[in-house]
Amino acid sequence: MNDREAKFILGAYRPGGRDAGDALFHEALEQAQDDPALGAWFARAQAHDAAVAAKLAEIAPPPGLREAILAGARASRSRRPLWRRAVWLTLATAAAIAVIGSLALPALRARAGERRFADFVLADVADTRDHHNDGDPARVLQAWLSRPTTRLPQDLTIDFAALRASGCRTLNFGGKPVIEVCFQRDGHWFHLYAIRVSDLPEGRDDPAPAMLARDRYACASWPNAANGMRFIVATAGDEAELARLL
Amino acid sequence: MSNEPFTHLVDAHYAPLHRFALSLAGNASDAGDLVQETFFIWATKGHGLRDTGKAKSWLFTTLYREFLRRRRRDARSTSIEDLPPGENDIAAEEIDRVGRLDAAAVVAALQAVDEVFRAPLTLFYLEDLSYVEIAGTLGVPIGTVMSRLSRGKAQLRAALAREEAQSRAKVVPFPRSAGRKPA
Repeated sequence: MNDREAKFILGAYRPGGRDAGDALFHEALEQAQDDPALGAWFARAQAHDAAVAAKLAEIAPPPGLREAILAGARASRSRRPLWRRAVWLTLATAAAIAVIGSLALPALRARAGERRFADFVLADVADTRDHHNDGDPARVLQAWLSRPTTRLPQDLTIDFAALRASGCRTLNFGGKPVIEVCFQRDGHWFHLYAIRVSDLPEGRDDPAPAMLARDRYACASWPNAANGMRFIVATAGDEAELARLL
Repeated sequence: MSNEPFTHLVDAHYAPLHRFALSLAGNASDAGDLVQETFFIWATKGHGLRDTGKAKSWLFTTLYREFLRRRRRDARSTSIEDLPPGENDIAAEEIDRVGRLDAAAVVAALQAVDEVFRAPLTLFYLEDLSYVEIAGTLGVPIGTVMSRLSRGKAQLRAALAREEAQSRAKVVPFPRSAGRKPA
């Protein structure tokens, strides 16, 4: 084995000695021990490799990626037959009808960007106590959303700029503004989030709401192309709570 | 599939998978999508894998295939194997250079390496996979992995030098305050 061949093989030897037991490297390693010039080269190569590996290890995954992965996988799991789910045994017949309707909605798994937004919203609903609405446009929208006859996907359009300018709660999602309006329906709190489609193009075009449930919270997401908005309504509870709005 | 094994699988592998995806895709958004899609595929298909010890290789392989599926290879990738071997000599200055650069600059240099070399190179630097496992992940012979590592490292060292030169060029002298003249 000449020097060039030895370098070629040793180039695949990971720093830290993890490949020390691999027979392929034995001859080249022995040669590096016996040949000072090759040994010096190998030491520099290992130092360089270790330095690059250490820098790469410093790269941390973005916040929320882990939760988005777990949420996406939950959405992928096939549902057990409805009659085996304990929650259904506790629901009244009328509520069950509504829930069955909600489960017919497509699972929220179509596009990763939309999933990340849903994950962001569920985390905000679960973690933030200070949900507030300021300004007349928000109060008008809040009152309209609270009406029992309002059905969200079909009827909802908003003036994003006016709501934002009036002091409506604004969040930052990947550098893009998201507004939130809270409202009550039959004494239960819901949270409507809106982001411009232009700020979140990675999502479904299908206007039908898609559902995602995580822990004790659930949300439904849908786009409104005419309004240029992507909406998510979220609440504490399961899909049955959301089914009352949709 | 119960939740706990999947959560453990995610916790064990999502960070190195993200680094691999970042080097392939070149931006954080696409990298995040690739990682999510990989685990999504696992959740729908991969958990049926009988040998759970192969989960790591399965995930890296699936991510790489998903990346390739999204981006059709260009003709350059097939002919690049014919290039001469990379320059093997390494100066001490090059080791110090890596230490001076921040992690983002090193990733940027890695992204400047030709893709056919970048994938095995990143897997090598993640240190999770041996050259044999890298060959299996990428679906190439062992000799090809070694060849690509050699050439990829040469490209990376050149890219690291460019990164450092660029970072130096960004430093400009602080402007003198108005009204003061040099002594």
